[in-house]
Amino acid sequence: MKHELLFSGIGGQGIMLLGEILCNVVIEKGYQVSFAPFYGQEKRGGRTMCNVVIADGMESPIISEAELMLVMDERSLKDYEHLVAPGGTLLLNSSMIELEPQRRDIKVVKVPFYEIAADLGNAKASNMVALGYVLRYLPFVDREAVEKEVAKTFSAKAALVELNVKAVKTGYEYEEQV
Amino acid sequence: MGEKVFMQGNAAMAESAIRADCKFFFGYPITPSSEVPEYYARAAKERPEENIVFVQGETEVAVFNMIAGTAATGKRVMTATSGPGFSLGQEAMSFMSAAGLPAVVVEVMRSGPADGEILAAQGDYFQAVKGGGHGDYRVLVLAPYSIQEMCELMQECFDLAEKYRNPVILLTDSLLAKMREAVELPGRKTSRVDQRDWTLTGCAGREHHVLTTCGDGAAQWEAFNLNLQEKYAKIKANEVRWQSYQVEDADIVLVAYGSMARVAEGAMKMAREEGLKVGLIRPISLWPFPEKAFQGLAGKKFLVTELSAGQMVEDVKLSVDRKEDVRFFGRLGGVVPSPKDILAEIRKLEVK
Repeated sequence: MKHELLFSGIGGQGIMLLGEILCNVVIEKGYQVSFAPFYGQEKRGGRTMCNVVIADGMESPIISEAELMLVMDERSLKDYEHLVAPGGTLLLNSSMIELEPQRRDIKVVKVPFYEIAADLGNAKASNMVALGYVLRYLPFVDREAVEKEVAKTFSAKAALVELNVKAVKTGYEYEEQV
Repeated sequence: MGEKVFMQGNAAMAESAIRADCKFFFGYPITPSSEVPEYYARAAKERPEENIVFVQGETEVAVFNMIAGTAATGKRVMTATSGPGFSLGQEAMSFMSAAGLPAVVVEVMRSGPADGEILAAQGDYFQAVKGGGHGDYRVLVLAPYSIQEMCELMQECFDLAEKYRNPVILLTDSLLAKMREAVELPGRKTSRVDQRDWTLTGCAGREHHVLTTCGDGAAQWEAFNLNLQEKYAKIKANEVRWQSYQVEDADIVLVAYGSMARVAEGAMKMAREEGLKVGLIRPISLWPFPEKAFQGLAGKKFLVTELSAGQMVEDVKLSVDRKEDVRFFGRLGGVVPSPKDILAEIRKLEVK
């Protein structure tokens, strides 16, 4: 088994945290996991992207093709669309992306992660909504374990635990408006 | 071997150094190596029972002289830096080599020249392997390709430094330093070398020891140099390390080190799935370079892949029978190719 994933956005959106939480959970299952982050010199507002590889053995931490790609902003879409595997899934944060993807050989799913998080009370939790949504494509990842990991991550503030766990749940259960 | 943890490369490496009894760390923060001083600084504060000494120097020039001074007392010591900081340390590298000081330097490569970019690169190969300072000196250079190997080699660096009384460089890059993967942290190790016959520890009750870095006439200085060369010959004979993968039946042999070797290994697997006979040679010691890995491989083509404009490729050309058989593929600026990109380069060679 080998799964290659790519998550990308703008510094401050919490894309790295999303990737790390996912990896922390998957590693417990005994898989070989690599998390390779790429970011610029800015703390916020810069480019931020990570490659996640989940496999049985040691693999290249640099992916060739993403079976699942999450992009949170338009620049990421422009830069990485070509890396989606044919037949793979491209998840777009439609709250920030108006551009249309060019590829016709991939599945495109648009989800307004910001609006969903804002409805929960804080748009900053959009990364956790996205994490919940991503889990739909990773059936080998236990959602409850992810929620536990999220709770652990935000354990310093009870209010944040509640918000972020709810965000994961909401993302996972979100029904697309047709 | 101890517990398995999911850890960042820099942090796992720092912990391994502490467990190798390296209690002295001097550093000046520079991305992508900053988590190493950060880890040491925290450990010094939170683990007082370990007597860890952490000092942030005013510049890398100072830091490299601090590690020289500490190594002269026989204590395990290290620093971690990246290209621009390593450049500032070159004078001390030369002096430590002459004085026979067993200091350990971690060089986390980023893209140069100058400030460049903070993403992964391997453009400091020449500087590390050929010696960025002055004079006829050599430094052992080890290049891991996984966080596991980085931790194990980190500990071995101290043993090698003491065994040969020579500086040792652990050469990594931004990708290995920043990525996280599962690692079984190595256990506690201590020095097995008695260094009391040369270290500077205060000479009450004994003859004083002298560490010298300057000559007293050409003949004397030539003799000093020949001693160094003798040591380097010993290192060359004993410390060559590499790993070969499926080279026997291969038509094309990839050659890569460090993080690029991880990517090249992925490309090799993809190529094999397509029925292409591709192997891989992964140098682990960059100096001494594993020339032996290339023996008996006449007639094969070599594709050297690096995150540089082509540096290790020169050592590969010196190691093969026909340098016309060596091709190069590299990316610059912090761009890391994927296994698929390397596969495309392999196909180009196959077509010809």
